[in-house]
Amino acid sequence: MQNPYIPIPVEIIKIVTEVETKDIKTFRFAFLNKEDEERFVYLPGQFGELSIFGKGESPIGIASSPTQKGYIEFTVQKAGVVTSALHDMEVGTRMGVRGPLGNSWPIEYLAGKNIVVVGGGFAFTTLRSLINYMLDEQNRPRFGDITVVYGARSPGLLIYKDELAEWQKRSDINLNVTVDKGDAFWKGMEGFVPAICKQVAPSCESAVTVICGPPVMIRFTLPVFFELGFSKENIITSLEMRMKCGIGKCGRCNVGSKYVCKDGPVFSLADLDKLTREY
Amino acid sequence: METRLIKKDALAGIVKKMAVDVRVYAPVKEGDNVFFTFLAQGDEPLTRFANTKNAPKNLFFPHTEKMMRYTRTARGVEFTGVRSEAKEAVLFGARPCDARSFTLLDMLFDQEKCQDLFYIEKRAKTTVIALNCVHPPYATCFCTSVGGNPFSTEGVDVAITEMNGEYLIEFLTPKGEELLKYFGEAKADEKTAAAKQAAAQKAAGEITSTIPATAIKPILDVNFEHPFWNTIHERCLACGTCTFLCPTCHCFDISDEMRGADGVRLRNWDSCMFPMFTKETSGHNPRPSQKERWRQRVMHKFKYYVDNFGAIACVGCGRCVMSCSVNIDIRKIVEDIAKL
Repeated sequence: MQNPYIPIPVEIIKIVTEVETKDIKTFRFAFLNKEDEERFVYLPGQFGELSIFGKGESPIGIASSPTQKGYIEFTVQKAGVVTSALHDMEVGTRMGVRGPLGNSWPIEYLAGKNIVVVGGGFAFTTLRSLINYMLDEQNRPRFGDITVVYGARSPGLLIYKDELAEWQKRSDINLNVTVDKGDAFWKGMEGFVPAICKQVAPSCESAVTVICGPPVMIRFTLPVFFELGFSKENIITSLEMRMKCGIGKCGRCNVGSKYVCKDGPVFSLADLDKLTREY
Repeated sequence: METRLIKKDALAGIVKKMAVDVRVYAPVKEGDNVFFTFLAQGDEPLTRFANTKNAPKNLFFPHTEKMMRYTRTARGVEFTGVRSEAKEAVLFGARPCDARSFTLLDMLFDQEKCQDLFYIEKRAKTTVIALNCVHPPYATCFCTSVGGNPFSTEGVDVAITEMNGEYLIEFLTPKGEELLKYFGEAKADEKTAAAKQAAAQKAAGEITSTIPATAIKPILDVNFEHPFWNTIHERCLACGTCTFLCPTCHCFDISDEMRGADGVRLRNWDSCMFPMFTKETSGHNPRPSQKERWRQRVMHKFKYYVDNFGAIACVGCGRCVMSCSVNIDIRKIVEDIAKL
C-alpha cells in the first residue's frame, strides 16, 4: 500500500522566472522513477504538496497540463519558508512532490460547452493547465469556443508571456490579456479584469466560466457574469486554505463539512453557497 | 464467545505477565494522576481507578511521531526511510468510552481512499482490553448521550467486568482470543452472563449527566451565524487542553527538524484552539478569533463529523469538562444550542 505522506522524488529540470519582480518562478520537475511518473495521473485544477525536506511542504496548484508528458510544473510565488527555499534552488536539485491531490476542474462537465476562463495575477496557474489541456490537439474538438480574460497589474507581472504570445496567434482561442496600467512598450488592453469581461461579454449560452484570482477581482467580476446570465452552477472557482496533510485528515482546511484539500479545491458558486463563508 | 472468570487480585499479575511477552500500555499512577504508560519490566498496572488523565489515542496517534527520515546529499535533501513504530501491543484498561473513540478515529484515518498507514498499522497491531464502568467514575461522564454506554463493546477486543469479587473476561474478537492463554481455564456460566446484563443496565442508569447531543445537529445546520457563538469563547485561554485530552480530537501539524546533515519529518498534535492553526502565509486567517475557533470545535464534533461519517466526534468521557482551566463545559454549550 502507498503511504500518502511520503513524497515522490523529483528533480528540478527547468526554472523560469516569470515576472520582473522575480518572486514568481515556474519550476519544471522530472520524476526520478518511471513508475512514479506513470502513477501521477492528474487533471487540470489538482494540486501537489511541494516537499522540501528540512523545510516543510507547501500546497501548490499544478501548472502543467497532463497532455504535456514527461514532467510536471508548478508556478510558485516566494512567500514563506518552503517557497523561499524553493526559489533558492537550482536546476538539478532533488526534492519531493506529493499528489496529485484534490478534485479538478470538472472536465466532463466542461466538455461540449463554451469555456470562459478568467484569471487575475498569479492565480492563473491551474487555469493555464486547463487552457493547455483544452488546446491539446486531441482534446480541442471536445470543447466549444474558448474565451480567456487574463489580467495583471502591469505588463511585467504577466506570467507565461511566451505562451500568451503563442495562444494569441491561434484562431481557436479568443485571448484577452489586460493590465491595470500599461507602460511605454505595452500595446495590449488596459483596464481591470471585470471591465474587460464586460467588454468581451461572452454569451452565457451553453457556457461555463472558470475563474481564479485575487478576492477583489472575483468580487467585482462575479456581478458581470451574473448580468451576462451565467448561473451559479456555471461559475466555477478554486479555493485556497492553509493545509498540511492534503488528504483530509489534519483538520484545518475545512469549510463547513468539506475539506478544501480533498473535496475541493474546485467548487462551483452553487456549491459554495451551500457552505459557510469561512475561507 | 469465549469467557473466563478470574479472581479479582489476579488481574494485575496477569497483565504483568503479558508485559513480559508484548508491550503493554496501561494505567499507572503518577503523582496525583493516572496516565496511560508503557509498562516497564515488573511494573504493575492499576486495575482500580476512575479514568486516566490522558486519552489512550496516543498509542495509535502519538503526540509526536517521526514520519520519515532524510539526509542532505550533493543533489538536495533526500529521503532515507520511513520510521515505522508499529509493534505488537496490548492496551489494557481502556474505559469503554475511550475504546469507542478508536472506532471514531478509524472512520477518519482508515478511509477507503487516503489511508493513514501510520495510524492503521499501530491500530491493527494492538489488542484493546477494556474495563467496563460498573460504576461510572465521574459526575461529568455523559457517554450515554453520544452513542456509547458504560459497557460499550465498540473498539473492544477483550471486555472485563468486575462482579462480586471476580472479573468476568469476555473475548469479543479473534484478536482478543489470542490472549486467552493468560486468563486460566475457569469459564463463566450463564448466570454470570445474566448478572453482567443487569450490571450493564444499572451502570447506564448511574450516568446522571445527559445532553441533547444528537438533537442539536439540525440546529447547527442552520445557525452558523447565530449570535450565540459570541457567548462562549471570551474566557477561553486557547491553551488547547481540551483538544489534547480529547480521545477523538485528531488534528495535527507536520513539521521538519534537521540536525547537521540528517533530519526527520514529524507529525505533532495540533489544535483548532490555536490562533496559528489556520493562519495562512499571506497573513489571512479564516478563523481570526477564538469565536470562530470555538464554533469550529463544536461544529466539528456535533455537525461536520456527523455529516461526513454519521457519528458524533465525542465519546462523553468528560475530560475536557474536568480539565478546562476556565470551566468551559461542552455539556452546557450543547444544552444552550438545543434552546436556540
